[in-house]
Amino acid sequence: MGVILKYVVAGLVRYYLIHLDYWQTIANRVEIATPLNSWKRLMEGVYLYEHNINPYEGDSFHESPIMLLTFYYIMKKVPFILPILFTLLDLLTAYLLYKTSQAFIRIFKESQKNNISEVAEESKSMLLNDDQLKGAAEYVLSVYLFNPYSVLNCAGMTTTVVQNLLVATALWGASSGQRIVACVFIALATHQALYPVLLIVPIAILLADVNKGCTKCSYIRTLLVFVLSWGFLIYLSAYIMDGSYNYVYNTYGFILTVPDLKPNIGLFWYFFTEMFEHFRLLFVCAFQINALALYIVPLTLRFKREPVLLATVLIALSTIFRSYPCVGDVGFYLALLPMWKHLFSFMQQKFIVGCTFIITSALGPTVWHLWIYSGSANANFFFGVTLSFATAQIFLITDLLFAYIKREFTLKHGSSRQVDGKPAKLVLR
Amino acid sequence: MESIRKLIYYSILITIFQYVYCDDFKEEIFLKPLPPTHLYGYFQFVTLVDSETSSFHSHLAPRSLTEVISRFQVEELHLTLTEGQWRHHQWGYPVLDAAPGAELYAWFSPDVADVDTQWKKLTSTLSGLFCASLNFIDNFNTVTPQMALWPMGAVKSGQNVTSQLRYASLPREIVCTENLTPWKKLLPCESSRGFSSLLNSRMIHNTNYHSIGVHVRKICKSNDCSETQLEIKQTVALVYDYDIINSNDWSFRKLFGQGLPGACPLSSESKIYIDITSNDTHAYTLTPPPDNIIVSQRGGSDTRLAVYNIKADGQMINIGAKHNSKPDLPVSIPPPLHFNRYILGYGKEFGGIVTELTNNCWTSINVVVLENAPWWLPLQLSSLRVNGQAESSLVLSQYYSPGRSRQKPYHLELLIKLPPRSTTTVTIDFEFVFLKWQEYPPDANHGFYVGSALISANLPTARNYTSLPIAGTTFDSVVNASKQWYPIVFRTNGAMVSLPTPDFSMPYNVICLACTVVALAFGPLHNICTKELVLKPLGTPVSLTQKLFNLFKKKRD
Repeated sequence: MGVILKYVVAGLVRYYLIHLDYWQTIANRVEIATPLNSWKRLMEGVYLYEHNINPYEGDSFHESPIMLLTFYYIMKKVPFILPILFTLLDLLTAYLLYKTSQAFIRIFKESQKNNISEVAEESKSMLLNDDQLKGAAEYVLSVYLFNPYSVLNCAGMTTTVVQNLLVATALWGASSGQRIVACVFIALATHQALYPVLLIVPIAILLADVNKGCTKCSYIRTLLVFVLSWGFLIYLSAYIMDGSYNYVYNTYGFILTVPDLKPNIGLFWYFFTEMFEHFRLLFVCAFQINALALYIVPLTLRFKREPVLLATVLIALSTIFRSYPCVGDVGFYLALLPMWKHLFSFMQQKFIVGCTFIITSALGPTVWHLWIYSGSANANFFFGVTLSFATAQIFLITDLLFAYIKREFTLKHGSSRQVDGKPAKLVLR
Repeated sequence: MESIRKLIYYSILITIFQYVYCDDFKEEIFLKPLPPTHLYGYFQFVTLVDSETSSFHSHLAPRSLTEVISRFQVEELHLTLTEGQWRHHQWGYPVLDAAPGAELYAWFSPDVADVDTQWKKLTSTLSGLFCASLNFIDNFNTVTPQMALWPMGAVKSGQNVTSQLRYASLPREIVCTENLTPWKKLLPCESSRGFSSLLNSRMIHNTNYHSIGVHVRKICKSNDCSETQLEIKQTVALVYDYDIINSNDWSFRKLFGQGLPGACPLSSESKIYIDITSNDTHAYTLTPPPDNIIVSQRGGSDTRLAVYNIKADGQMINIGAKHNSKPDLPVSIPPPLHFNRYILGYGKEFGGIVTELTNNCWTSINVVVLENAPWWLPLQLSSLRVNGQAESSLVLSQYYSPGRSRQKPYHLELLIKLPPRSTTTVTIDFEFVFLKWQEYPPDANHGFYVGSALISANLPTARNYTSLPIAGTTFDSVVNASKQWYPIVFRTNGAMVSLPTPDFSMPYNVICLACTVVALAFGPLHNICTKELVLKPLGTPVSLTQKLFNLFKKKRD
């Protein structure tokens, strides 16, 4: 009963915000809408497509042709359905995350049971029982439904709503062992925004873990299905655009080369505004490698036994370091964190991170107004806010990982911090 | 006997001369008082050249220009450099309209396959020829108008002229003496003799509006148009304010700082036309009296023109007007079509451009509106509204070419039917773009100029219409030239937007800070992935001296 009430309230809040007079303001906020996902740009693309102008000829539309065609038909046949559609998609995302976390709890319990022999005798009390685990799924659901970031993202009717749904479906598919679902949806998400390509690694590990048997065969199968479906989607998009692959420059090309420097909550915009022209390519490559390739191998090697944690961290890192992030992406990975609520007691910077999130969320719109509308501040103010927001997110993620390895250590070696009777402290070596 | 022989000799020589060089040069001035406070002066210097003669042998035509025309295979070229804004609502229509700043458009010969390369070469060459910043014309500010512009000259029928056309305007361009001097050098008499000697920069840059132009086109030599001639027309348009010359009574001496020292000896015709239609309401006397007065009936409006034939006898002429009485209160009758353009919105995030078109006629007028927004002003076609409606029945046809950042401007053309006696507003929204710091011009907070929109119309009446008929070369073609339509291309006023600016002083700081944040993630993640947790006994704290000592000890080891 309570669960249904949550869905209804969250749905009504979203639906109400979409019909508010301030909807335009929400949909145009820099924090919510980026050139990649904004509703305005989607409408412009659909309008151009309707008038037989190739939307990829210009610079106003950066979604995939599949999204273009989908929204073209929705706009043409049932435009009135859009507010309710976006609300429902977001609620569905919440439901899928809920299902994912339930599956995760199942996996977690199993692995806890299997590894019980490695746990030190005095740490046995730290093992989680059913009651402690049960709450996690509920928290995931509540956080996604009532997190202001997710709510505003849905109210702004950005395409990130669809993106979140695709990623959530892929995660759910992977955690319940459905290879085709996971691969197809992660391919769809990759086709839309490129960065979810990272998730194929945790999904492959997760699928291999869930569907027991030949691990390597499973990896290869997953990869094959993913590549085939991604390739098919690229081909399908070109087919929609009459066989022309030019859309790639406006979707992947736009994401990778960062030509639009409109401020957002990420690190790219001011960095590349102020970049010296002859270093631009170097730093674009460096930043994109940082977002796409740098952390995947080391983190995979370190956390291959915890694919869900790996997925959470990779989603978070790619959100922080992607070229056009928005609060919808932040809301999505924040909703995954309650799965790790047993780690929260090991985290050290919860308070700092929490305060920074609140302060930057309030300061961001304020300094934006001061800079753009009243002209009494300059770009540095907004840059400072986005910088501290990114720092807070980084602290959150690194803190979570430290907490995990600390708990791992404690489980193995007991909670006493003593060496030969002398007090000692935990250090990295 | 000797003198007769000499005469015959000379006359033969002149005949041969005329036969070899069929060039013809004419100079004209058209003055029109714009009551109550302004005076419009228009100079045109027309040189006709046989197209067949090589551009390397020229007589009166400027070789530098004819060479450019033939080398880049230009069919027709229009270049204007303008300072100030023509007020159509108040002043009526000019003979040739021009956009503020520099404006250039040209049609290339159908033989030219790569028009864009040729266009780039042409603009660079003209940039050198006129000392203007035309070299800043590139693909990102060039459009190919589909409906708004048509060739003024002779074109082979069935030829696709649109694809060979390129149009660009530089609204920020400042026009000054440095452009006038090379322009004067193209004239056969340069600035030493003839009407061009009046154009001294001290006086003509002291006006409300001045525009210099070069217009090259091909015209028919005969009625069947089997042969064509090249017409090179150099124009100057000036609008004087009576307040600046300190009196309502104008004279050449007051306007140009000197009298007219006769015609250019090389010209075949030197005439001054003064529109004295306004004499009925603002009575004035012309001194010296005109040679004759022509009454012209054109498209339902009567015009009276006072004509002076100027000879090349070196006599100083000072034409002036003296008002007989104090002027009455003026009644200004607005022209049949006038327009206004402005920017909507506040802040530096979203805005809109509004073009208001007012039709004062009793019939509807079809106009083509060309909106040409630079790439840093991305238009949203889905926000286009005509009179506030998204789908308006007034729009008969539409062409849109979306822009691309740093590559292509936004180009929208609308064929609109303006209902009789009404005002139509065309609104389109745009988003402000955040440029890279090196893309901002010096004084970035001065604002960015948005070029004029083109409005191309076929007017049903010739009220306020002063342009020459399309087949005409000189002003005598205006007389009784009634037609069904009076084609004209207008430029609206330009606009200015202030783009949001970054802090130009701190590229290093921003680079360092952003990289630091990336490093903040990299460091701990590197530690987590490569190191393992161990318990380390807590020792007694080491003092600084002990640390230094340890350091040395290590080295010694």
